Amino acid sequence: MHELGITQNVLSIVLKEAAKARASRVTKVSLKVGEWSTVEPDCLRFYFGILAKGTLAEGAEVAVEQVPVAYACENCGHEYIPLVSVFACPRCSSHKGKLITGRELFVDSIEVENADSSSAKSSGSE
Amino acid sequence: MQIPVVQKVLAANDLLASEMRAEFEKFGLFVVNIMGSPGAGKTSLIEQTLSRAGDLKIGVVEGDLATSLDAERIAKHGVPVVQINTGGACHLDASMVRKALDRIDVTSLDVLIIENVGNLVCPVSFDLGETARVVVCSIPEGDDKVLKYPAIFSSASVVVLNKIDISPYVSFDLVKFEESVANIGRRLIKISCSSGDGLENWMKWLRTRQV
Repeated sequence: MHELGITQNVLSIVLKEAAKARASRVTKVSLKVGEWSTVEPDCLRFYFGILAKGTLAEGAEVAVEQVPVAYACENCGHEYIPLVSVFACPRCSSHKGKLITGRELFVDSIEVENADSSSAKSSGSE
Repeated sequence: MQIPVVQKVLAANDLLASEMRAEFEKFGLFVVNIMGSPGAGKTSLIEQTLSRAGDLKIGVVEGDLATSLDAERIAKHGVPVVQINTGGACHLDASMVRKALDRIDVTSLDVLIIENVGNLVCPVSFDLGETARVVVCSIPEGDDKVLKYPAIFSSASVVVLNKIDISPYVSFDLVKFEESVANIGRRLIKISCSSGDGLENWMKWLRTRQV
């Protein structure tokens, strides 16, 4: 149920970046969401549709790329995607796997119209 | 045109949490974030911990949706305690803990215990600046919790299984549960807050503070 607050954060990041680029409209928001980030993409899309009303991001497509859970074995260094309920390293059977991806939650990029390209270039990542 | 952003949605929380963690580390405070379902026995575990604390100085931050019932229970043990009411929120976040710290002098403590809101999902995403996470489970919840909620178990250092005294009366496959905890590479401590069984193992972990 915390998706509402999270979506508010997403929207504020998007609007700040759009303003920096002097965009007239945001057409697409691309997010990376880890499988274990505890965020439900459909729920996020739903809230975004509501919260973005009346802003530059109204009607923007919300594209969610889900990032699978991946482990790196601290014993043999092997990187692997654990199977449901099996977290041991498939190469050496060690249980010393460390989560390397799957908890991501970030705004990857946005697509905008009528942006001032000189200011857009200076925005970039932080 | 496409604009690269690459900004963490929870950047504000994560920044605050890492600032708090650095502060805690400065004066050697061990901060335990206790997570688990409603009714698993998180508050009971804290109470049992306090009555076995000896010279270990412990403070408690109690998270809950409503009421100060848990904080009242803890206060009876004569330790510093702050209640956070989240209203409807399903987890604690770093800003709530930061605010609570204004009302508790952590500089004189060895251990700060934060009791999270009863929930096996949302607390995972919110770093509170803790040193260690503990998930408390209990026999009546069933033996499949690790399989069903791997994210929270994988984020913890220790899994505590409470209410082992009632296992003869409940269908719970202990071997299956033990295997699932071992499988996710976490340490299991079996306890009963009613009978006191296993609590010495828990206290040993807390005293050594080996994450």
